[in-house]
Amino acid sequence: MKRRSMLLLGAGAAGALVVGWGVLPPRSRQGRADTLPVVDGEVGLNGWIKITADGNVLLAMHRSEMGQGVHTALAMLVAEELDVSLAKVRLVQAGRDTLYGNVAGFVAALPLHPGDMEPGHETRGVKAGRWIVSKFARELGINMTGGSSSVADAWDVLRLAGATARTQLLGAASLQWKLPLAELVVADGVISHPSGPVGHYGEFAKAAAVTPASTIAVKEAKDWKLIGKPVPRIDLVAKTNGSAGFGIDVRLPGMVYAVVRHCPMLGGSFGRIDSDAAMKLPGVERVVRLGPYAGSTDGVAVVGRSSWHAKQGAQALDIEWRAPPAGVLDSRQIAAALEATARQAAATQGGFAFHAAGDVQAASAAAARRIEAVYHAPYLAHAAMEPINCTAQVKDGKVEVWAPTQLPGMALALAARTAGVGEDAVTLHVTYLGGGFGRRLDIDFVGQAVRIALETNGRPVQLLWPREEDITHDFYRPAGAAVMQASIDAQGAITSLAITSAGDAVTPRWMERGLPALSGPIDLPDKTASEGLFDLPYGIANQRIAHAATHSGVPVGFWRSVGHSHNAFFSECFIDELAFETQKDPVAFRLSLLADMPRHAAVLKLAADKSGWGKPLPAGRARGVALHESFGSIVAEVVEVSLDERQRGRPVVHRVVCAADVGTVVNPAIVAQQMESAVIFGLSAALYGRIDIVGGVVQQTNFPNHPVLKLADAPRVIETHLIASSNPPGGVGEPGTPPIAPAVANALFVLTGKRVRGLPLVV
Amino acid sequence: MDLSVNGQTRTVADAAVDPSMPLLWVLRDVLNLTGTKFGCGVAACGACTVHLDGQAVRSCVTPLASAVGKPVRTIEALGTAEQPHALQKAWIAHQVPQCGYCQSGMLMAAAGLLAKNRDPSDADIDAAITNICRCGTYPRIREAIKTAAKALRGGDTGASPRAVAAA
Repeated sequence: MKRRSMLLLGAGAAGALVVGWGVLPPRSRQGRADTLPVVDGEVGLNGWIKITADGNVLLAMHRSEMGQGVHTALAMLVAEELDVSLAKVRLVQAGRDTLYGNVAGFVAALPLHPGDMEPGHETRGVKAGRWIVSKFARELGINMTGGSSSVADAWDVLRLAGATARTQLLGAASLQWKLPLAELVVADGVISHPSGPVGHYGEFAKAAAVTPASTIAVKEAKDWKLIGKPVPRIDLVAKTNGSAGFGIDVRLPGMVYAVVRHCPMLGGSFGRIDSDAAMKLPGVERVVRLGPYAGSTDGVAVVGRSSWHAKQGAQALDIEWRAPPAGVLDSRQIAAALEATARQAAATQGGFAFHAAGDVQAASAAAARRIEAVYHAPYLAHAAMEPINCTAQVKDGKVEVWAPTQLPGMALALAARTAGVGEDAVTLHVTYLGGGFGRRLDIDFVGQAVRIALETNGRPVQLLWPREEDITHDFYRPAGAAVMQASIDAQGAITSLAITSAGDAVTPRWMERGLPALSGPIDLPDKTASEGLFDLPYGIANQRIAHAATHSGVPVGFWRSVGHSHNAFFSECFIDELAFETQKDPVAFRLSLLADMPRHAAVLKLAADKSGWGKPLPAGRARGVALHESFGSIVAEVVEVSLDERQRGRPVVHRVVCAADVGTVVNPAIVAQQMESAVIFGLSAALYGRIDIVGGVVQQTNFPNHPVLKLADAPRVIETHLIASSNPPGGVGEPGTPPIAPAVANALFVLTGKRVRGLPLVV
Repeated sequence: MDLSVNGQTRTVADAAVDPSMPLLWVLRDVLNLTGTKFGCGVAACGACTVHLDGQAVRSCVTPLASAVGKPVRTIEALGTAEQPHALQKAWIAHQVPQCGYCQSGMLMAAAGLLAKNRDPSDADIDAAITNICRCGTYPRIREAIKTAAKALRGGDTGASPRAVAAA
């Protein structure tokens, strides 16, 4: 607890730098009528909304669409408050203003315990911590799509922007018609009065921009027409006819193509390059040496007439690769070191305690039985379907970049640094992302593309990483190990829980790459390393949950659900072990520990009910369950699993029942889509996912040796059941991933009697 | 070299390409038909699926030389804005895509299946759709294929594959 106070003090010192403003979000994030550039009779009303002459709404879109449905969800918030149909809302790219920064995503970095932050019953410490970090994040203004935070972050801000614009538009009509505002009605952007006057938003926009908004109130839930409805996504026509523009689809006059080859050894470099053979190939025009950009391994790019010509050239290069001076990496050695570190820390009360309550040692000494288990997780690649790419043009002192990125502001800053120009000279276009999963929170490829564009005589160049470069030069989900220890008293009650994990911390490494100015000489404790362990909802009186941060040297990054992705496997499998050891049903056992956490209990009960928990299954099938909170949402999953004897006992997942409390649901159809997505993404990792590093070289290279789930292997049924809630929205893109691996592992234990304590699950 | 793409003859300058250049890159980087995607380059993921002579093929490993003289059909001509293919309608009805990157290949693989099999079973779908989607749209793809197959059998065709090829 003391250490947590210290963290808050640290954040407070940073907060003291920004005490200048008098208002807190969301009101501080509305912008002004002139924040957005206007053309063709458009009128800006605030930093988010413009009205066109024909009465359509233009929404400044600050978040990246990578499949999670964020463009639809955010457009719904504005359409709701403006009383227009979704078809009337068009998206324009948001600029660089700090009002587009992500506040909620940074507030979520606080290591808060769920017992202290129940919605409506937050402790004073939680409120203070959130306030301070909000101020700091608002000042930083980092535009980030990640951490399942987009809707939570926009919830108050965009609804207020829409409600304010609506009030201004109605106010302008009221003044012009000399009729009371309260008597005006709006239908799909058309204002009217029962006495006859009718006009669309476009007719009042100019006047509205100079009409102060009177009383502004966002709608009450009972008045919602869009929020809470399964509204079709706005991006699906383009995504079914080939017209959706991903980064790799940018085509510009005179464009050339580049393909990169990195040093195969992570962190390595190169010496002599023989490019004679490459340069003799038709369609190959140039070789560009690439140093490190925001954490990338050094490499060489070949520029050519097409991506294929460039790749032929890259393959023809004869390069003398050099190992990194610190030595080459080996993932087996790292795994052994992680276990040793975790064991050592467990034995000595070491590591950073993210949560401590009661007296674990006393409880352990008094215990009738002690249970201990060690769990492992491997490195993982993201393998988004759109391989890493970026298009850049450097001409006449200006830089233009087209990037599928989750981090446009930092990408723009890196482009400026790379080209040696001011940020004002850079224009960055965010394309659709063909998957992100956290990989596109790194911006290495943007620096590379701009570097190459400096060599192409003003012509735009599209950099593409072949799939092999994508898998072998990712920023990997860190490997991890955890020592799990519990004490059981003579009555079979769990009296203590000690978890000591070890692994690299992602956030400080990411800060070094992308935000070196904010990166200190020593790492602050990274909540993401222990999330999913320190913040368990279970009522166990004595707890010590600590993490020993390591420095493996492997480039590590954010991978869908981050620390939760492996920590939920550790915690929810171990909880299952404790249920077995105390001879209790896994659902009943969890419920017995959730007396003070009614939302968690309700989610678990819903999953159990909908899955038919406890009811007989066909022979050879078993159920497993897991419950996990992440990104402000609680998800329970019950799976039905069998073993396919024709395929050496490979687990087959037939049915997944998800129950979730995600707070207020903006679009239940998108929530269901994301639960399905998160389950299948997590299943690929649970059943197949691993990255092995030998001699510094990642051994997996492409889908044939890095298998992922395919249609035939996917569960036939994935059901999503949502708890009705009026709490603010939680995350949706990630929270479905953490429970799937432990749920499957727990089912496998029922089937085989054997505990698998490492990933991927090999029976 | 002349290619027949989506019912049109497209001339590709011999100097611009090589007979061994995969059809994928001719479509994307020479003809700027970017609906067909690059995913793996080794015929493993199916993002590059197009129809060659009516068959679904992986264009990342299909040399240009083997496509000359045969009709090539890409996602851009699966349907039209006015007459989307039954699969495109079903894809939207089931809200299939997420990031959408793999969906061109998925749709072309599914269209290849339905052209041969009017009423595919689950096993038929498993065997025909070996494309990779990282967003996990598989369960919806399965249902959407069944919906489209039913629509095609029932006459609610949208645009039939034949009609589009002729257009």
